[in-house]
Amino acid sequence: MTPPRWTETSSGAFVLSSDRAPAYAASDGSFALYNDYREGRAILVRGPGPFAPDEVLVVWQGPAAAGRPLAPRSAVEGYGVFTFPYGPVSMGVPEAGRFDVATYGERVLALTPLGGYKSRRVLPTVVGSTVTDAALRIERTAGNFSASHVAAFLGAAEIAEQRAVPAAELWVRATAQELQRIYNHVHVLARIAEAASQNVGSAQTHALGEEMLRLQGHVFGHRWGFGALLPGGVPARLDPEGRRELARALTQRSEEFAELTDLFLGSRTFVDRIQGTCPVPRESAVRWGAVGPVLRACGVAWDDRLRVPTAPYNDLFLALPHEKDGDALARLLVRMEEVRASFLLLEQIVDRWPSSVAVVEPPEPPVAPHRGLGRTEAPSGDLVYDVSVENGRLRSIGVRSPSDANWPLFAAGMNHAVFTDFHFAFESFGLVFADTDR
Amino acid sequence: MPSWIEQAAHRGILTSAYPRRPATAAELPLTGRPPLLPPGAVAPAGAADRCPVGAIDGRTVDQGRCIRCARCLGDGFRFAGPVESARTRRDSLVDLSDPPTVAPLAALGRSVHIFLIDVGSCHACNLEVLALAAPQYDLQRLGLFFTNSPRHADVLLVVGIPTDEMVEPLRRAYDALPAPKAVVATGACAVSGGVFRGTAGLRNGVEEVLPVDLFVPGCPPAPLQILDGLLRLVGRNTAPEGTP
Repeated sequence: MTPPRWTETSSGAFVLSSDRAPAYAASDGSFALYNDYREGRAILVRGPGPFAPDEVLVVWQGPAAAGRPLAPRSAVEGYGVFTFPYGPVSMGVPEAGRFDVATYGERVLALTPLGGYKSRRVLPTVVGSTVTDAALRIERTAGNFSASHVAAFLGAAEIAEQRAVPAAELWVRATAQELQRIYNHVHVLARIAEAASQNVGSAQTHALGEEMLRLQGHVFGHRWGFGALLPGGVPARLDPEGRRELARALTQRSEEFAELTDLFLGSRTFVDRIQGTCPVPRESAVRWGAVGPVLRACGVAWDDRLRVPTAPYNDLFLALPHEKDGDALARLLVRMEEVRASFLLLEQIVDRWPSSVAVVEPPEPPVAPHRGLGRTEAPSGDLVYDVSVENGRLRSIGVRSPSDANWPLFAAGMNHAVFTDFHFAFESFGLVFADTDR
Repeated sequence: MPSWIEQAAHRGILTSAYPRRPATAAELPLTGRPPLLPPGAVAPAGAADRCPVGAIDGRTVDQGRCIRCARCLGDGFRFAGPVESARTRRDSLVDLSDPPTVAPLAALGRSVHIFLIDVGSCHACNLEVLALAAPQYDLQRLGLFFTNSPRHADVLLVVGIPTDEMVEPLRRAYDALPAPKAVVATGACAVSGGVFRGTAGLRNGVEEVLPVDLFVPGCPPAPLQILDGLLRLVGRNTAPEGTP
């Protein structure tokens, strides 16, 4: 890798250019974060940007116009080639986002995902509010990744506020994240089965997904865990009896999941349909900064839970599944293994829950601004929060979400695919527009 | 090697008895019911200011604004309201007192086609709506169907807070629906703007863009509550109101 270059724009923001996408680049030019896959560790590269404590900086530059490309556009010309929009209103992708598809018929010559339709202005509006109030909006950034967003945000804010966290809090966060990971992976499997017309299979898998939501509702009082991870939120019902009940439910669900995966992988038509669909070569994944199951399906074993571990993950056994082929099947196999790993993690969490929990009184928030970085492995991959806090209020915030990172890979993988590949490819990436259009 | 048929038979019937029977505790989480102040209780001073979305006014809670964050539990409020909380009038959501009597699409009976449109959601409402197709709810047994085109739809099910960018697509989708048609604002964002209320560039609820026929409160509403709302549209909600 050649050293990254920073260029200052006329508005005072810094743009990073390098031959490899960083895991995160602060737009005030103060640092960039890279993952070293060979050594299995994260590297922080300092930039030229000063961290000036006396001016308020908002990392996010205001609402993006509708139709902002989320991946590089490639111009395609030729006899009979035309470009048509798919979205922002469609039932196939039940979210407000658009795809421009260049084609001469059945084959997709180029596909550009476009965002900017559903930006709820989360980042500029949380600047200036307290961490607890901001978290209400942060967890509603992407509802199905809410636990990961809140855990990364609170992790960053706690470093910035130099606040110690009660250990039990971290165990609750891990429980919420693993339950949500299982739900999301099961949902991806159900959607792919739906696209493949595996009607019994998709119904049974959707049923398992619904059971996982009900389990979250039972444990946290909310089906998506909103409010459960915040100070003063819904009290997590993880008393000893609640944990035993959770353990019983998890055993049953993991058996059901194992049965479903056996049936799916035993179905030749199903496996044939997704094998070789929307392949991502390893070099592109590394160069474009792919994250999560997309990266691990290309043979790169990187998972924030192992490479930048926070408590309690550094204390638990976690298998790190990866595949080589980089296609939709490889991504699905990685997800299936991860569900198994998450069930195992939850089993350990329930087993080894700290019996006595020392409550740490939060100190007075420091007056001088401090900055913290929080990373979690969301269901779709590495999530980075860069937060600075001054007088107990957010001074700046920057985010790199897993969907941000994976759009270019999806666009590249769809080159020379056919229309009917779209849903298999899209669902296998686990992309969420709300995760990008914050 | 077991087959899908054996597996499905082994799992048995998963479908809810709702709306023949009331919702069970498993079908609704703690925060699924609207928060209310128990009879006789008095809200302590400052309870209204502690609500992050300004839903509390004295004793009453505007359920359309409530995001179920549970902060008011400390002030004596309890998640004790009726499960069936969808209303045809926005002001009925403030105290949930008058049950709806109007069924805007009564003529459609058992053939109601629904088009889901997202105008700025966090994706949780979308997934709750899609969960209605899961075997536990199986909305087709009730004569409700998802459709892939607004031209084939009777109901425009709107989720999310309308962003400036989505106002035009929302209007055009509405115009594409043939009459008679109904608009359902689903979730706190679509009803009132929810946690994002009052942000520049966003509209405070679908009502600011289109006439709304039914409001389903909740952040997000549970699938059963969306189902109840859809049945109310056609006057077929028979679920007894009561505690599970």
